[in-house]
Amino acid sequence: MTAGATPEGTTERQAPLRGSFLYGVVAVALAAGLPFLPFANDYIIAVAVRMLIFIALGQAWNIVAGIGGLLSLGHGVFLGLGCYAAGILFNEYAVPPWLGIWAGGVLSVAVALVMGAMTLRMRGVFFALATIAVSLALDQLARHYVDLTGGDNGLALRFLGNSLWFMQSRTPTPFLYAGLTFVIAYYWITQWVLRTRLGSEMKAVRDDEAAAAAAGVAVFRTKLLGLLLSAVMTSFAGTLYMQSYQAIDPETAFGLSQAIQLQLPALIGGLGTSWGPIIGGTIMILLSESTNWGSTKLGIAGVDILVYGLLLLAVVMYAPKGIMGLFDRRTRGAWRP
Amino acid sequence: MTAIALEVTHIAKQFGGLVALRDVSFRVREGEVMGLIGPNGAGKSTLFEIVSGNLTPSSGRVAFFGRDCTGDPAHLRRRAGLCRTFQKVRLFESMTVAENIAVSARQCVKPGLDWRVEVDAILRRLRLEPQADRMPAEITLADRKKVEIGRAVAGFCRVLMLDESLSGLTHEEAEEMIGEILALNHDTGITVIVVEHVLSVLAAMVKRLVVLNNATVIADGTPNEIAHDPVVIAAYLGTKASVLR
Ligand SMILES: Nc1ncnc2c1ncn2[C@@H]1O[C@H](COP(=O)(O)OP(=O)(O)O)[C@@H](O)[C@H]1O
Ligand SMILES: [Mg+2]
Repeated sequence: MTAGATPEGTTERQAPLRGSFLYGVVAVALAAGLPFLPFANDYIIAVAVRMLIFIALGQAWNIVAGIGGLLSLGHGVFLGLGCYAAGILFNEYAVPPWLGIWAGGVLSVAVALVMGAMTLRMRGVFFALATIAVSLALDQLARHYVDLTGGDNGLALRFLGNSLWFMQSRTPTPFLYAGLTFVIAYYWITQWVLRTRLGSEMKAVRDDEAAAAAAGVAVFRTKLLGLLLSAVMTSFAGTLYMQSYQAIDPETAFGLSQAIQLQLPALIGGLGTSWGPIIGGTIMILLSESTNWGSTKLGIAGVDILVYGLLLLAVVMYAPKGIMGLFDRRTRGAWRP
Repeated sequence: MTAIALEVTHIAKQFGGLVALRDVSFRVREGEVMGLIGPNGAGKSTLFEIVSGNLTPSSGRVAFFGRDCTGDPAHLRRRAGLCRTFQKVRLFESMTVAENIAVSARQCVKPGLDWRVEVDAILRRLRLEPQADRMPAEITLADRKKVEIGRAVAGFCRVLMLDESLSGLTHEEAEEMIGEILALNHDTGITVIVVEHVLSVLAAMVKRLVVLNNATVIADGTPNEIAHDPVVIAAYLGTKASVLR
């Protein structure tokens, strides 16, 4: 009697994870060993870095939108705060990004708190609109305070050469390991959220707010916590973005195409899953690199957005639960008409 | 003398110009199984929304075991043991049956107790063990209603409010459901309030009925008294359903 349905059920429910550990080890080994492969060059490593950074950003968005169901359409806000905070502190006051990253995090938490407190008690559409409004506002601020931010042209880090203290490097390789660390840490955080009470609360709120409250879940508090966690994760990855690219501008931080790039990994790979953003981010960057390559050859611009649009359309039509959804018994069951 | 588990006093609720509830008052004693009936649109579900904290009343008070909880948010009332189901079943569709029950078990289980053990106990009590790992979309309506009851009582429950848990079920399913509900009341002492719109279903199940019609209480008594109450009969004459069928 004591060996009831749940303990057995729990192992059955988590069975896919056992296989995923192996895939994880292989993926990490592949990424970590990349610089030692014979065909590796700075371009290939830089693409891998971009991939890892966008996976990390996608993992952060997945927390609030995938697990929590809050559609943040302007998550570039937190990416931008992570970039600009670390960049400005370094350029103006020679503050190392090891500290700047925390400044970005604190700022992001503050902005998320205000945004959340104002909108998360209302219907979800107000939160989505607020993220867009704050994106537009920060875009204007970044363009206006030219002395600090470089205005429209953006902010370029003063380059000091290789320096661990200032997180600068002539080659992309150190950022490969930094990016890999982020992705592993964020994977672990996602797993942790999904397993803990917070994850069960977030999923409950995502599925049905009134039912969640009737199950004892503090709906507003749950939404706010998910948003804060995601904001801080995005901002930290933003600082890594800044150090790796050495520059940021208002369009790259707060623009529409960036906002879409933050959402695509989880949407393609599978919302609310721990592997979704990893698979989706990989596909997104591979696709974007090949279109960049193709469009330069052909001499046409803006193809990447078109390709993203088509990709998203394909996902919505053929795999509404993302690529992970194709392998998940439950989503297949749940989506049966 | 038993305690008063739930007391609503002078509850009123307007939706714009529409009066959904007008001066509704009654008490439910601890351990009682009470039926709340009334034709469609009488205001039964609205009353549940107010008692559970989903809606704020235009006026009036709700007291739970003598404590005024009119201003408390819904999740705190649930954690205090004021539990409910929804007329249209609302499960977490992305979670399995066991996970649905686990949500409230994790929120409401008393400190020192293991929520997993509680989930197992609920699954066993409601005979949902074979369905534990199924998705809500894969099970029957009767089982979905049972899961919702399980989620409503998991962890800690003192008053259980059921909104039309029997409607839409076959005769056998309804009989089984009544059995489960009465057993829950008998074994754990949970106070139960059952909403239905026809009396016949509840007549054998409860000793006391409150009748809501046109936003207000028109009768309060035993099923036998209610069935012969001229005011109640008159109220039901205007509707498609008769009191007794
Ligand atoms: N959220 C709402 N907004 C406006 N009117 C409502 C709302 N909820 C219920 N009503 C109205 O209040 C009245 C009582 O509804 P309800 O409580 O659902 O009745 P019952 O559960 O007894 O069938 C109905 O006329 C219904 O249309
Ligand atoms: Mg109703």
